[in-house]
Amino acid sequence: METTPSGTAIDTAVNPYLPIPTTITNITMETAARDIKTFKLGFRNESDAEKFDYTCGQFAEISIFGAGECPIGIASSPMDKGSLQFTVKKAGHVTKAFHSCEEGMEVFVRGPYGNGFPMRDLEGSNIVVIGGGFAFTTLRSLTKFILHPENRDRFGKLTVIYGARSPGDLIYKYDLSDWEGRDDIDLYVTVDKGDETWTGREGFVPTVTQEVGPSSEDAYTIVCGPPIMIKFTIPVLTELGFQPDRIINSLEMRMKCGIGKCGRCNIGDKFVCKDGPVFTYEQLMNMPQEY
Amino acid sequence: MEEKIISKSEIGTLLDKLKEAHSIIAPVHRNGELSFDRIDSADEVVLEYSNTRKAPKSVFFPQQEVMFAYSKTESGTQVREPDLEEDVLLFGVRPCDVRSFLLLDKVFGSDDYEDVYYLRRRENSGIIGLACNNPRQTCFCTTVGSGPFNHDGMDLLLVDLGDKYLAEAVTERGEGMIDNFSDASDADKQKRNDIRENAEKGIKPVVVDLEGLKDKLDGMFDADVWDEFHTKCLGCATCTYLCPTCHCFDIYEEEETNNSGYRLRMWDSCALSLFTLHTSGHNPRTSTKERTRQRIMHKFNYFVHNYDDFACVGCGRCVQNCPVNLDIRDVLSTIAHL
Amino acid sequence: MEDQIRDTAVKLLKDGSVGMIIGYEAGTLPLRASPCVITNAEQTDRLVWNMSCGSNLATYLPSVAKANPDQKIGILAKGCDSRSILGLIKERQIERDGIYVIGMPCSGILDRRKIESDLNGAEILEAHIDGDKLTLSTSEHPASSIQYPVSSIIHSSCSTCQHRTPVLYDVLIEDSSGNPNALSAPDASPYEQVEAMESQSADERWEYFMSEMSKCIRCYACRGACPFCYCTQCFVDQNQPQWFGKTTELSDIAIFHLVRAFHVAGRCVSCGACARACPMGVDLMYLTRKIEKDLDELYGYVAGLDVEELAPFATFRKDDPQEFITEPD
Repeated sequence: METTPSGTAIDTAVNPYLPIPTTITNITMETAARDIKTFKLGFRNESDAEKFDYTCGQFAEISIFGAGECPIGIASSPMDKGSLQFTVKKAGHVTKAFHSCEEGMEVFVRGPYGNGFPMRDLEGSNIVVIGGGFAFTTLRSLTKFILHPENRDRFGKLTVIYGARSPGDLIYKYDLSDWEGRDDIDLYVTVDKGDETWTGREGFVPTVTQEVGPSSEDAYTIVCGPPIMIKFTIPVLTELGFQPDRIINSLEMRMKCGIGKCGRCNIGDKFVCKDGPVFTYEQLMNMPQEY
Repeated sequence: MEEKIISKSEIGTLLDKLKEAHSIIAPVHRNGELSFDRIDSADEVVLEYSNTRKAPKSVFFPQQEVMFAYSKTESGTQVREPDLEEDVLLFGVRPCDVRSFLLLDKVFGSDDYEDVYYLRRRENSGIIGLACNNPRQTCFCTTVGSGPFNHDGMDLLLVDLGDKYLAEAVTERGEGMIDNFSDASDADKQKRNDIRENAEKGIKPVVVDLEGLKDKLDGMFDADVWDEFHTKCLGCATCTYLCPTCHCFDIYEEEETNNSGYRLRMWDSCALSLFTLHTSGHNPRTSTKERTRQRIMHKFNYFVHNYDDFACVGCGRCVQNCPVNLDIRDVLSTIAHL
Repeated sequence: MEDQIRDTAVKLLKDGSVGMIIGYEAGTLPLRASPCVITNAEQTDRLVWNMSCGSNLATYLPSVAKANPDQKIGILAKGCDSRSILGLIKERQIERDGIYVIGMPCSGILDRRKIESDLNGAEILEAHIDGDKLTLSTSEHPASSIQYPVSSIIHSSCSTCQHRTPVLYDVLIEDSSGNPNALSAPDASPYEQVEAMESQSADERWEYFMSEMSKCIRCYACRGACPFCYCTQCFVDQNQPQWFGKTTELSDIAIFHLVRAFHVAGRCVSCGACARACPMGVDLMYLTRKIEKDLDELYGYVAGLDVEELAPFATFRKDDPQEFITEPD
C-alpha cells in the first residue's frame, strides 16, 4: 500500500472515476409528453453486479460517452438484483443523449453514491411517502423495497401520496396500478388537473396530504418534489405532528464528481453528493438556505 | 535531522545529480513569466525570486488532465487510464505553496474516496523548499498557520544565507539528498535563526483570531457584510485559479471521432456564474454576493469544519492579482471587527 | 479634482438625485484603485481619482441597474468609459435617464505591468505622482526612489486615445492640472500600434499572437472587465451545443479570444480595461484594435460617439468595401 507524503494510505488500483459497463435491456416511455423514460440496465460483468450494493435514495453517475455524465437517482429496488433502473428526464446535454440511446446499447455507470434514505431508522416505523412529479423516482425504489415480501413486516403502515401535474405526467403507472390492489399499502394518486378520461383524485399534493391526514405517530415521512410542493407540504406535516427530524427530503444539486471532491454541490460544509442528497428537515433548517 | 551547507555554485551539482532520477520542476523564466516548469538544465533555475504568479498546485492538479480515453469497439467500449508514473522533484518551492499540498491532500486523499490522479502524482514526488528571507507586503502566511521558514511537507528546506545555502533535512529522503555536503557550523545555524526571526517579523499580520474566525462565521451566513464588498467583483476566476488551495474542477468529454474520445477534468471556479447552475435553470447562487460569500465561507469556515484547517496559506496571490483589488485581508479584518 | 468629485457626490446623494454612486476608492496596495459603490454622503471621502483608476466602471451598470430598478445610478466616467456607457445605452442595456454621469477628463492610466516588469520582481512599497513624474520606492531600494516620467509609463490604450474628455456626461469635473496639453489628443496616429502589426508578415503576426495566447489561463477577467460582455450566458459557457473547448490548450484559448474580439467588434472603445485586468499580461488589444481600425477605415464607424448611429453590423451601404472577402490576400 503506497502512502502520500502526508501519510494517507492509497489503494491506487481503485479509481473512483472509472465507470462500469452496462447494457440497456429495456426502455419504458413514462409520460405523454415523451420527456421521461425509464431505462433498465444490465451489468456487463457479473463481478460489477455483485459490487454495486446500493440502498434506496442513492444515485449513480451515468456516462454517455461523447456527451458526458449526469447524476440520476436509482429508481429500482435493491431487491431486484443484477440490474438497475434509472428514470431520466430529457433536459440537458447528457440526458438528451441518453434519451436517444436504444435497447442493446451500452451505457456506463459509476456509483452508488450518496447517503440514501436512513433505512435503519425507518424500520419499525410507519412510513408516509409523499412525492411530486418527476421526483418520485427514488421514492418508488423505497416503496418497492418496503413492499417486498422479505422486508414488508419490518415496516409499519405504508402510506403513499403521489401527484403530478396531469394524468400524462404520472410516472410508474404500472406500479401504481399494482399497488392500488394491495392491502399492505394505502395509495393516494392525484393530479393537479385531470383530463376527460381521468376518474381519480384532483388536487395539489399538499392539499391531498391534508385531506388524507396520515398519522405522525411512530412515523417517518419522506417528501420529494419540486420546491413549491415541499414549501406547502411541510406546514401540513408539521400540523399533523411530524417533528423536523422525522421529515426526510432528498435534494437536487448540480453535481460533477459525485464524491465530494470537485467542490460544487456544497450547502455550507455539507456536500449534497456525499453527506446527502438525503437530509432531514431538521438538518436543512440548520444549513445555509442556499439550494 | 541533518543540516548541511551547500554553496551557491554547488546547487547546480546537486540538481544535476537529482536530475538523474527525477524530472525536476523548478521556478524558471518561460515566455516572460516566472513559473514552475520542467528544467532541461540546472542553470535555468531561478532562486532569487519572491513567488511565481501561478501556484505550483498544477504539478499535482493540472489545469486540465485526461481522466481516461474511451473507444467503442465490437466487444464494448474500452476505457484506458493515463500513465501517471513520472517521478517528479519540486525544487525551490515556498513554504506556503508546500503547505497548500498538505491541504489539497486532505481533499483528494480523504478516507472515503481517493482521487487517484492527484494522489499518484503526489506519491511519486519529492520536495525541496526554499525559505522566504524577505516576505512580500501581501504575504500573511503566519496568520493561517504557516510561516516563511515552515518546512512541513518538504523533504529538504534550503535557506539562503547570502553566499551559501543551509539545507535542513526534514525527511530521510531529504537527508539522502545532502549526504555528500559538509555540516552546517553553529555560526551558520545562528545566521539562519537570525534571518528567520527577521522574516517572521517582516510579515504584516492580518488582524484575525484564528479560532474565533470559524466560530464567528458559523452564524454569519445571512449577515449584511456580504452586501458590502461583492459589487466590485468581476466574477472572473483569477483568485481561484492562482490560489494554491483552490481545488474545484469540472468534468467534461471531448470526442475525437464518433467512436473515441476523452473524459477530462479541468479547473472550475465558484466565482463563475455557471458553477452551480442547474439544468432546470435554477441557480442557488445568483449573484456575486452569494459567490464571494461562498469563497470566504468555504476557505475559513466550511473547510475548517471538514478538515480542521483554513483553506488558505496566506501567499497573497489573490491580493496581488485581483483585477479590482478586492483584498481578502480587508474582508477578513472587517469580519473580525464585527 | 478629487475634491470636486467628492463635493459633487455629496450634493447628488444628499439631494436624492442619485441613490448610489459607482466610483473608485483607494486600493490596498501602491498604484491601485478599486471600484466602489457608495450609497450615502458620509461615504464620499472614500472616492479617489488618480492614474490607477483603470477599471471601466460601465461594466457594472447593466447588473447594478437591474438590481436597483427604482434608483438613479451615479457613475464616474473617463472619456473611454463614457463611450462605453453610450454604447450600452445604444444596446438598450441601460436607460439614459437611469444614470447620472460624472465626467472625468483623463490624461491617461498607468501601465502597472510595464512598471512591474521593469522592476524585475522587486515589490513596489510606495508610489506617488507629482505632476509628470512617478516616484517609487521598492523592496530592493526601500530608502531611495526610482523615478519614471509619467509619459513613459502610460498604458498603451491611453497613448493613442482620441477622446480624453467624456463624450457623454451630466456634469463635467474640471481638470485642474493646469497642463494645457493634458486633454488634447496626441499627435500620434490613433492606430499607431495597429500599423506596426499590419507591417508584420502573416507568420510574424501568428507567432506573436499564439505566444500571447499561451499565457492565458481562461480566468475571464477580460470578459468581466469589459462593459460589453454582458450576455447572461457567454458563448464559451454554452454546452448545447458546446461551441468551443474551455481548456488551456492553445487552440481552445485562441478561439476564445478570436471570437470575443469579434463579439465586441463595433462596440469596443479600446479602453484597455481588459488588458489591465488580465493577471497574466496577455496583449488583449492586439486583435480588437485592428478590428476598430478596419471598421473606421472601411465603414467610417467609430464606437461610442453617436447614440443614434446604427451599429456597423446592424446596417449596410450598397458600396460597402468587400475586397477582403472577395479577394483576400
